[in-house]
Amino acid sequence: MNKKKNVLMDETFFDEYLSTQGGIRKDLKKSYKFFQNLKPSKRRSLQAQLEDAISTMGITFQLYKGGIIDRSWPLDIIPRIINHSKWIKVELGLKQRIKALNLFIDDVYNQQRFLKLNPVLKDLVLDSSNFLPECKGIHPKNKIWSNICGTDLIRDHNGKFLVLEDNLRVPSGVAYMLENRNVMKKVIPEIFDGYDVNPIDDYPSQLFKCLSDSAFTTKKVKKIVLLTPGIFNSAYFEHSHLAQQMGIEIVEPHDLYVSSSKNVLMRTINGPKKVDVIYRRVDDIYIDPIAWRSDSAIGIPGVYEAWKKKKVSIVNAPGSGVADDKAVYAFVPKIIEFFLNEKPIISQVKTYVCAFKKDCKFVLNNIEKLVIKPVNESGGYGILIGPKASKNDIKKYQQKIRNNPRNFVAQPLIKLSTSPTLIGNKMEPRHLDLRPFILSGKKIFVTSGGLTRVAMKKNSTIVNSSQGGGSKDTWIIH
Amino acid sequence: MLSSTAEKIYWISRYTERAENTARLVNVNINLLLDIPHDRVSDFIHLVEITSDVEHFNETLLRKKIFYSSDSAAFKELVLEFVIYDTKNPGSIASCIEMTKYNSRYLRTILSKISWEQLNNLHADFSNSNKNVKNSDVLLKLINNSRTFFSTIADAMSRDHVFDFIKLGRFIERADMLSRIIEDQILRKDSRVSKYFRNLQWMCVLKSINGFESFKKINKDELNRANVLDFIIKSNDFPRSIMFCLNRLISVMDYLPRSKDFVEQILVLKKGTKSINKNSTDKDILELIDLFQSALNNLHNDIASQYFLLQDE
Repeated sequence: MNKKKNVLMDETFFDEYLSTQGGIRKDLKKSYKFFQNLKPSKRRSLQAQLEDAISTMGITFQLYKGGIIDRSWPLDIIPRIINHSKWIKVELGLKQRIKALNLFIDDVYNQQRFLKLNPVLKDLVLDSSNFLPECKGIHPKNKIWSNICGTDLIRDHNGKFLVLEDNLRVPSGVAYMLENRNVMKKVIPEIFDGYDVNPIDDYPSQLFKCLSDSAFTTKKVKKIVLLTPGIFNSAYFEHSHLAQQMGIEIVEPHDLYVSSSKNVLMRTINGPKKVDVIYRRVDDIYIDPIAWRSDSAIGIPGVYEAWKKKKVSIVNAPGSGVADDKAVYAFVPKIIEFFLNEKPIISQVKTYVCAFKKDCKFVLNNIEKLVIKPVNESGGYGILIGPKASKNDIKKYQQKIRNNPRNFVAQPLIKLSTSPTLIGNKMEPRHLDLRPFILSGKKIFVTSGGLTRVAMKKNSTIVNSSQGGGSKDTWIIH
Repeated sequence: MLSSTAEKIYWISRYTERAENTARLVNVNINLLLDIPHDRVSDFIHLVEITSDVEHFNETLLRKKIFYSSDSAAFKELVLEFVIYDTKNPGSIASCIEMTKYNSRYLRTILSKISWEQLNNLHADFSNSNKNVKNSDVLLKLINNSRTFFSTIADAMSRDHVFDFIKLGRFIERADMLSRIIEDQILRKDSRVSKYFRNLQWMCVLKSINGFESFKKINKDELNRANVLDFIIKSNDFPRSIMFCLNRLISVMDYLPRSKDFVEQILVLKKGTKSINKNSTDKDILELIDLFQSALNNLHNDIASQYFLLQDE
């Protein structure tokens, strides 16, 4: 029996179900046994039932492969379980982090106190394409720029949670988090027996509250809309799902216009109606062809002016992406100390900023042990994974770094934790991450858990659903 | 309600109704032609005339090298193919269903779940069907699916603006289609068809609108041009009469904002319709139908500019 369990173990990583001694972790015993005791064919048929439910419920995401393809959302039947006692610290850490980051963004666009003390960062930030000079001098309501943040967490080889990335612009995935739970309850309600799982379904009402809090108007009933680029956007399912759950309108750019008095109006069968809050699911630079990308077909001309004059709130605020720059990430512990006068509660991955001479030297000497990332690219472009790179590539990157050190940061190769995942009809360890969502309104709210993404290929750490990644229902238990 | 949403709902309703009406028309014609002697070409081309653009059809003929004088089976097949499956023909059933599908993608959160799923079924059943013009199952299934869709609207939905715009689209489309069927039937001056068969054609018209039984209940003795026309145009009680459609449109207007002018327009339409009587000549009727169609078209345009068009302040 023990030997069999060891097959599931990958000793270099933290496994969420199995300890290094081969035992099953206490909280997870029931769930693990449930799946272990099922006949393999039964496991498979449960997974098939789950997939049927997903298809009937129309939970899809879209891919671009020549054309748009609707794919069923991938969900693994084995839940991920985290004890509340561990989670509570993460939750506090995330709250602290977003509070500091929002103060930082507000500072960047106003006094720049922090940047003045950190000239290297100042250069990097002001040069970054994520810094929008048009946002200078603006304070969104409550000085919150990123009202909705999705922070990617990983667990290191000791199981400690680390922040990998803050998504402060237009984070997505929360609708899948909600639907994963719905599907699980529908298909295998029995697995919840004996577990005290935190509910997650109040997210839409928390989001509504957060959006309401961001309005400048003092009207009691605020007009809030969700702005989507349209049905062909890969996250359209999420857009319509959230709008429906909150009972707000989902609008496309052509449904809104800006009046001469700089009010944002929505075209309805009763004539124009004033909008107070736009929950935008469009990248900031596309939102107004007058202020930013003039070629944007998904913008509302003049909406920037309306926002600047506080006639409308845009959530997240344009320009909030300045803080999810990789160089800023390296400074977050300092940012927390500076703005809150506190020590960071949650750790993050050690990051070397090549703009610093000392860091740069270290990176050049240890490049084969590190992951090199360009600062102003995202989506995994231009990354060099030292331990896997050819000598030639290493040389090329060393040269690149020497030529333009400011352009690069480096991190040690990250070990993602694993969890048993149904592959065929067997349970095998697969790497995963976790994206909780943090809402900042009058209060800060963190989802109980978040969206767990799983790399379905053996040894892979690519969790993106567009590249074959799956997901798991994530439980915070008491 | 958003203008753009109202517009999509209206069109979903129109296209679904249109697909259903076309399916009925095709189906009944196929059945009828099993019974009576006829000139196949002229009997089939009228399906194109009612639903689609004849010039466009002629281009298709040329491309496929089929002529009016060709073997009649091949001609019939091409007409059916063109009217049912040809997605290049905007009047085909397939095109209507594609448009419905396209609009429905936006309405996932607007329609009730059951209505939305029914639209998916309608689309899936049609597109997964065996695309053979001899397969009349497709049409029957489509008619059923469309009926089910409208009944989910009637049975599982609050009487809100979604409901209103569904109704608006459905009855404008139906009135339009009825007027085309009448026009076409009157224009079918086929000298080779005897009076007996002419009456059979009028019966076919009744069947295509599911009205034969209802008609028989009121007109026990005879079925002829005058009493069929009277029934299709003026019956207050039969859901597929022009008068019934107009009455429904008036009742929808009660619930829509700024709709007083529309009621006036529909009342004018009603007045024109009522002036048809059994002494009306073919010419009279064609003139009135012409006026009716352009007035209906104006009504559509006015509705579009009031509720749908995206005008700034």
